[in-house]
Amino acid sequence: MTAIKTEVAGRTAAPPPRAPRRRAQGLQGSRKRAGWVMLAPALVHAAVFLLLPMVMLVALSFTDYQFLGAYHWVGIDNFVQLMSDDRWRTALLNTVLYTVVTVPIAMAVALLIALGLNSGIRARGAMRVLYYMPQVTATVAVATVWLWIYQPDVGLANSVLGLFGLPPQGWLTNPNLSLPSLMLVGVWQGLGAKMVVYLAALQSVSRDQLEAAQLDGANRWQTFWNVTWPALGPAHFFVFVTSTIASFQVFDLVFVMTKGGPGSSSTVMTYEIYENAFQGLQLGYAAAQSVVLVVLIGVFTLIGLRLQKVSSDV
Amino acid sequence: MSRPHAAPGRRSRGLYALTAVMALGAVAMVAPFVWMLLTSLKSPSELTEFSWLPDQLRFQNYTEALTAAPFARYFLNTAVLTIGQTALTLLFATSAGYALACTPIRGRKALNAFVVILIMVPFYAILIPEFLVVKSIPLFGGNSITGQGGIGWLNSWWGLIIPHAIAPIYIFLARQFFVSLPEELAEAARVDGLSEYGIFFRIMLPLIKPAVITVAVFQIGAAWNSFLWPLLITRDDSLRPIQVGLAIFSQDPLNVQWAYLMAGATLAVLPMIALFIAAQRYFIEGMASAGLKG
Repeated sequence: MTAIKTEVAGRTAAPPPRAPRRRAQGLQGSRKRAGWVMLAPALVHAAVFLLLPMVMLVALSFTDYQFLGAYHWVGIDNFVQLMSDDRWRTALLNTVLYTVVTVPIAMAVALLIALGLNSGIRARGAMRVLYYMPQVTATVAVATVWLWIYQPDVGLANSVLGLFGLPPQGWLTNPNLSLPSLMLVGVWQGLGAKMVVYLAALQSVSRDQLEAAQLDGANRWQTFWNVTWPALGPAHFFVFVTSTIASFQVFDLVFVMTKGGPGSSSTVMTYEIYENAFQGLQLGYAAAQSVVLVVLIGVFTLIGLRLQKVSSDV
Repeated sequence: MSRPHAAPGRRSRGLYALTAVMALGAVAMVAPFVWMLLTSLKSPSELTEFSWLPDQLRFQNYTEALTAAPFARYFLNTAVLTIGQTALTLLFATSAGYALACTPIRGRKALNAFVVILIMVPFYAILIPEFLVVKSIPLFGGNSITGQGGIGWLNSWWGLIIPHAIAPIYIFLARQFFVSLPEELAEAARVDGLSEYGIFFRIMLPLIKPAVITVAVFQIGAAWNSFLWPLLITRDDSLRPIQVGLAIFSQDPLNVQWAYLMAGATLAVLPMIALFIAAQRYFIEGMASAGLKG
């Protein structure tokens, strides 16, 4: 940084002589132009591939568009039909369940890992790499690995159960177990990013306050609740919102491991949207389902915001 | 970095116990990868019943996997897709970030808020209209000027690369870094007669190198691991990336060849793990700074 500053000083010390005023205005204009030129590609891209699709999505959800042939406005028929669609109701409940179970568990485990890594143990760096590793690997690739682990006869999961004398399970074939099996993979894969955010937050907790608390005779538990926990507010908020948004969009795991089955026991909203749109070609109907997904994600983000407000007011 | 603040002795024993627990957890985290690797080296007959370790390390599974499915082609496609998206993102997301942070364009604040809102758009929700937009790109894939009649960018490199490059999060990230640079720098260069583009490329961009690397590693990760979009818009093996290839290989209902599948999965995750270990700092600081600033 200091090198930069001296360089600047060196440059400003000897400004080349120029006609000041008129040039300054022309300069302002050319800077504006340059700004727009540099912004334009990204803006056009966002308008075409994000904004336009958002608008189209809402429009499509009021049609019976089926990819080929004519389509009609059907008003809110799609949404009415959604209400009595059992498979969709299951998908919606499964998605909410998946989120409500995996997000808090993963947050708690990630925080524990971060606390562990932040407590001065050995080989912290290496361990951080190992904990983070599932996060950087493709969901499809790890889903194929877990598909193999969950195999009923030759899979690792049942063999590990066997070590403890437990009976083998139909991880992906038992309708009561298929969704929890997916949740386990989801929690496992998502721990790394949450842990890293918590680690950064823990390292920014005020040193003075921690020491002051210890001088006041607070035990570690009290120190944690009164000093560390309040300082984690922004991290909680960020982790909650990003992982909620991500878990509402869980798809790759479901696609590779269960296809939503057995029956509809592990189907989720994104998988239903995919099936209806690209296998069933009911694009209007699937668009209505997508609108519901957007609204739900919005609601959960608002809940996160509200929680953040409440906790920072306290 | 926090250090233990209490006296050694009783506390250090607790620390050893904690280290052991944490190490056990770390091993559990990577156990699936170890299992993947072990499986990829077993012979087909060993896979008909459960065994912990392979009898012998059967490395030819890897070469055989490459012929069992066009995995080599899939890898090449993934590489092209990743390089293409990363190049687009690095050029256009950083320049947009610079424009939002450092140039006097009108409505900068509103545009910036717009970018922040766009970050929230959930990809899976706009899948259908995005597909239709890509299908209707005028004058491509047999389309008329109004985007009718053909397949547009479907089943093409255009459609594979362009729609998911330049994500708003990268624009936002670049902007955050440019904003933190002192204005005098650009001012001095301007006085020297450097054009705005020169200032961006030669002065400002090199200064946010850590941010550029962070954007690059996240974009590389996203492109390498992308699945649903390529699955939807590609029809031919000549365009399919590795994740789609793996998923299709794993869905073969008659007999999944697990050793080959695990060999393919190993090859598919290895580059990302290598990149992560090499660029750890940027992955972790990127995540952390997004979390704390955001």
